[in-house]
Amino acid sequence: MRKRNAIAGLLVPALMALGSPAFANEGERVQVTGEIMDTWCYFSGVMGGPDAVVGSAHHTCALWCSAGGIPVGLLAEDGTVYMILKIEEDDASAGGDTQLTLASHEVTADGMLYQRDGLNYLVVEEVVSDLDITNLNAEDLGTIPPFAIPKGER
Amino acid sequence: MLKPILTAALCLSTTAAFAQENDPWAFEEGSEAKSWNLFAEIPATFEATVVDLLCEVAGNCVDNCGDGRRQLGLLRSADDMLIYPNKNAQSSFNGATADLLPYCGQVVEVDGLILDDPDLGATNIYLLQTIRVAGETEWQKANQWTKVWAENHPEAEGKGPWFRRDPRVLAEIAREGYFGLGLEKDEEIKDVIFE
Repeated sequence: MRKRNAIAGLLVPALMALGSPAFANEGERVQVTGEIMDTWCYFSGVMGGPDAVVGSAHHTCALWCSAGGIPVGLLAEDGTVYMILKIEEDDASAGGDTQLTLASHEVTADGMLYQRDGLNYLVVEEVVSDLDITNLNAEDLGTIPPFAIPKGER
Repeated sequence: MLKPILTAALCLSTTAAFAQENDPWAFEEGSEAKSWNLFAEIPATFEATVVDLLCEVAGNCVDNCGDGRRQLGLLRSADDMLIYPNKNAQSSFNGATADLLPYCGQVVEVDGLILDDPDLGATNIYLLQTIRVAGETEWQKANQWTKVWAENHPEAEGKGPWFRRDPRVLAEIAREGYFGLGLEKDEEIKDVIFE
């Protein structure tokens, strides 16, 4: 025990002195439930507040952003945003097919969490459940943005 | 015994170091970025290395930063902060990978807008407007996405913005509707909101 304490006594100050985010970049196994969402609209507020850029009201825009290569995230029930870097075998985080087909869906994802410089990065190893779209806000909000549905199809 | 001590020390040191080092206003000087009138935008120009994010964060590396499949990041030279370019300079729902890929692994200078809104989790999020290899004089506009898309989708040539013609987007809407809930439900919602 004394030997272990001695090692800890040497290592802890050394690690604290380093203070490097990269040094602390160890992955952690997590399971997260939330909505697959479009991070730019959410972070920027360009389409409105956080409640307006999720769910069925924003689904078409979420498709556009996902296909357009805007990073996809998982918005957890507690409001934490996880930036998704890979979903199962598909590493196409810039416009890939897997993330496109999951746009706006509520999923439970099991994978590795990496925290780096203020952001949460998630490598999804398994989509444990996919409940499709559960945030049915279109009846209340209409379409976000308003031009999501072409005039000829309204 | 040792593991909890080390974990706590790492968490404490990381949090303290991040709070001390991360000043989103520190790279405003010299920026010529155009405002997008966003709530949390801060002009920022800096030198950085273009990195494959999955490689940089999780150690999962492939050739040429994933050839455009993967999201790319900017590892800032001044403070080793990993910046996430979410957006390029175009206004039609485009990310920044197409503009960063030609510089994979290179040291570049960038200009754009940092988004800093911790209440939403937006830290070190970036809108890339211009880029150049470090030391060069000519800036390149970060507007390559639609050009790359057009090259990859000759069958979708036509009038109107790309997102009205994209085959994958159109297939999703044809299958699930504009609200993603199925075609029957789509019509029901349209009747309500467009009555």
